[in-house]
Amino acid sequence: MTDAASLAPSDVAPRRSLLGWMLVFSLPLLMIVMELSVYAFAPRVLSLRNVVNVLNQSSYLFVFACAQMMVILTRGFDLSLGAAVSSVSVASALAMTGLAKLGAPDAVVVAAGLGAGLGVGALVGLFNGAFVAGLEINPFVVTLGSLNICLGVSTTISGGSPVFNVPDVFSRLFYNGVLIPEVSIPITIAIIIGVALHFLLNHTTFGRSLYIIGNNPRAALVAGLPSRRYLLTAYVACSLLAAFGALMLTARTGSGEPNLGGSLMMESIAAAVIGGVSLQGGVGGVGAVVFGALFVTMLSNSMDLLEVGGYVQQILLGCVTILAIFLDRLRRTRA
Amino acid sequence: MSHVVHGSAPSSLSQRLLRAYDRVGFLPVVLVALVIALALFVPRFLSLQNVFNVLRSSSYLVIISAGQMLVLIVGGFDLSVGAVVPLASVVSALTMVWANGVAPGHTGFVVLLGVLAGLASGLAVGLINGLSVAFLRVSPFIVTLGSMSIATGVALLLTNGIPVYGMPKAYVDGFGRGLWLQLPTAVYLAALVVALVWFMQNFTRMGRYLYAIGGNLQAATVSGVRTKTYLVLAYVTCSILAAVSGLALTAQIGSGQAVISAQLTLESIAAAVIAGVSLKGGVGRVEMVTLAAFFLLILTNAMDLLRIDPRIQTIFLGLIVVFAVALDELAKRRTRVD
Repeated sequence: MTDAASLAPSDVAPRRSLLGWMLVFSLPLLMIVMELSVYAFAPRVLSLRNVVNVLNQSSYLFVFACAQMMVILTRGFDLSLGAAVSSVSVASALAMTGLAKLGAPDAVVVAAGLGAGLGVGALVGLFNGAFVAGLEINPFVVTLGSLNICLGVSTTISGGSPVFNVPDVFSRLFYNGVLIPEVSIPITIAIIIGVALHFLLNHTTFGRSLYIIGNNPRAALVAGLPSRRYLLTAYVACSLLAAFGALMLTARTGSGEPNLGGSLMMESIAAAVIGGVSLQGGVGGVGAVVFGALFVTMLSNSMDLLEVGGYVQQILLGCVTILAIFLDRLRRTRA
Repeated sequence: MSHVVHGSAPSSLSQRLLRAYDRVGFLPVVLVALVIALALFVPRFLSLQNVFNVLRSSSYLVIISAGQMLVLIVGGFDLSVGAVVPLASVVSALTMVWANGVAPGHTGFVVLLGVLAGLASGLAVGLINGLSVAFLRVSPFIVTLGSMSIATGVALLLTNGIPVYGMPKAYVDGFGRGLWLQLPTAVYLAALVVALVWFMQNFTRMGRYLYAIGGNLQAATVSGVRTKTYLVLAYVTCSILAAVSGLALTAQIGSGQAVISAQLTLESIAAAVIAGVSLKGGVGRVEMVTLAAFFLLILTNAMDLLRIDPRIQTIFLGLIVVFAVALDELAKRRTRVD
């Protein structure tokens, strides 16, 4: 708030030096440099197959990072996302396999899977939102709590092992079916979610209010915004989006996995923040998340192609995360 | 503010109790109640073996949480502590094995070198965190997320995930599994750390400055506090304490492990938060954090003794963390109103 940068009117285009422009586009530039340098060693990186593969993979991360963005915009974050994904996956798979065994028609089975998954998501979101918005408890603590709860629930109801035999019709619907020729279902869903979310954030009172709440919670309250209700809604929306992503992943693996969400919490936060969603709240949008999710996916894809070992990948990912945030910081203060 | 409610001389016992409660908070009360209930209903809880277990496992968490608290006080965050523990474990064990090959028989030298190497690995992570936060002004959440990833990767790379055996027997049996005056050595280590941090918080300039930085960074800078130096110090102390805990844990296990303590980061933050450390910075006392760490581990222990399924245990722990903080928040609000 006291930053000189945030006081400067953003509508007036400032005169930028070459360095300034490079900083503005630091993330896309970094992505291009990365892809080209990988191309020198592993030309496959720019093959159509690999590009499609990266796009497919990043569409999942995009959905989870969008979910995370909803709450990061309000100065919160959701540590329970990964665990919630596991719970949703297991719950929906159990509902579907149970009904399929009873011989229920496909439509009923899929509806039950959707209902169970989104229901669990909504519950987690209500829990988080109720404590954060209602009792004003720090989101870190609340979602740390729900992380543990979800972890316990998913391992308990699944008995710790995957739930197999998710009906094919579910996988067709959310993974390998054909809706638009040549465009995979995950990418289609990601685009629909992206467009809808962009509209929600930019053209509705709720969306604009999230930015105000994140920028200045006091001002939002003084202005008479129903902050608590919006905050609760943001947490529910976050968990519902995560639940939807979980259903997509379940369709891909064809089973309910109690360990599905393992690293998703960290990855979703990293993707959102690398893209430029500020943890201080009030800054970010769908576009930022697109770049963040693409970047994280490209990075791990490039390292896979270069046959970098898993442990070294982990180290590089850490270094690059810090570097990307540092560039973001520079972009904001200098450009 | 609060004397509108409790302003007049305490006229009744209940009012006096209420004021005492407001002063110490709910944590000691809950802790005592928990211990009494367990002592009455779970006979094995007070057995010597079990008390040792709880004390020892709490010690590791107490040491880490004390460090976490310092970072939280300056308005930061350290997600990397859970990765520093295995890093220090692996680095110290590998160094000891190497030193033992170079100078067999010189146990003291071997152990000293190993311990120093372990602490140095903690120092390195702390410097990465502290320098990035203080000078690059990067969000602590992301920096420590990154350094967590780096530290875990290095620990795994050094060992391929295979435990490192071959540490001097004296280190394992004498220190790690040893008893001094009937108590596990880790307890003394934890007590020493708590005493030092307590002294630092209450009687040194650094203690006051850390609170000042967390309370209001701008004001601290304007008042001439070298905020960057103290920020780095807070992060470095936190990582070194995590390394200390890692060393003690390694000595107890008897091997260097790249895959221990995945939960320690979250547990340390939970302990700090239950103890009333504000995530906004500026608030936090080490004695309360110690109590909170005990509280968490006694609770886990009780559920173990009652043979509650570990899966259900995680659900309970999650609920308890949230409700503990909710209760604390409500109590604060009650005293704050009017």
